[in-house]
Amino acid sequence: MTDTVTMTSEDEGVVVMTMQDVPNRNAFTEPFVDRLLERFREASEDRENRVIILRGLEDIWCAGAHQDLLLELAEGDMDAGDILLSKALLDVPIPVIAAMEGHAIGGGLALALCCDVLIMARESRYGCSFMNMGFTPGMGITRLLQDAVGEYIAKEMMFGGQLFRGTHFESRSGVNYVLRKSKVFWKAQQLARRMAEKPRFALETLKGDLSIRQRQAFELTRTRESHMHRLCFGRPETAARIRENYTKPT
Amino acid sequence: MPVPSKQEIIDIVKEHLMDNLEDMDDVEFDPDKSMKDMGANSLDIVEVVSCTMRDLKVKVPRAELSKLDNVTQLVDMLHATALEKEAAA
Repeated sequence: MTDTVTMTSEDEGVVVMTMQDVPNRNAFTEPFVDRLLERFREASEDRENRVIILRGLEDIWCAGAHQDLLLELAEGDMDAGDILLSKALLDVPIPVIAAMEGHAIGGGLALALCCDVLIMARESRYGCSFMNMGFTPGMGITRLLQDAVGEYIAKEMMFGGQLFRGTHFESRSGVNYVLRKSKVFWKAQQLARRMAEKPRFALETLKGDLSIRQRQAFELTRTRESHMHRLCFGRPETAARIRENYTKPT
Repeated sequence: MPVPSKQEIIDIVKEHLMDNLEDMDDVEFDPDKSMKDMGANSLDIVEVVSCTMRDLKVKVPRAELSKLDNVTQLVDMLHATALEKEAAA
């Protein structure tokens, strides 16, 4: 069986973590979430690592929760395990660069927002699909997105559920780079090499400080988001909406 | 709202396709082609179709949409659905 999250290192101190659950199109299933958590831990513990580039498939960076997982949430009282992902990624002690060559949707976008540097592709799409399926956004995105793209654009994205092309964010957000897909990983490598020249203890110290805002945002939202989820997932129509409106990139 | 003609629906699809793919300027819009052939990716198509359905106030299940090969077939299906909706009203 192929590994759903690989780790390689070509440049000293730079680890490239690639999400590549091809059959599930990089959507969160329980095994995929477990593997990601394991990889975040591994990459953090290896003291040789100084920067992580988080990469996905060429056309899909991360699709957020798998439809089956959402249906389980809507039909039972299962806890959303993907919430752990945001926390685990925010706790990675070194800088993480999201090299989003492909689309990032819903929880996939939330995952990106837990990174330190964001690189989008002009051609790919990014958005919050939660409300299309009748439930409120999760994984800390209600606050993290506002910090990344501004309050009003974040509201538009969360209420509307539209998936914007990367180009939409070029001049109206705090996203670091929006580039042609073919240049996304190249740019991530350039940034990573620059950061990897710095000593790990200093990178760790700075990361601990600079990520306070994101960690606070996440802690502030998790209780409220869980409360809103209980309200929405308890509604009988939510499962039907998930079945009809789940966006599955093909 | 009267049911728009097929040509009017083509124009709506075209408008949303252009709006969604700004690099469409150098691509000729041809309803006999699929949106994919005109440079759209799977999520571009989701956006274009959902915006068009919203304008027409119709909803076609995704399973039906996935069987279509080109824009003309999409327009035919949306037009037929709009007529059915009007007849039922």
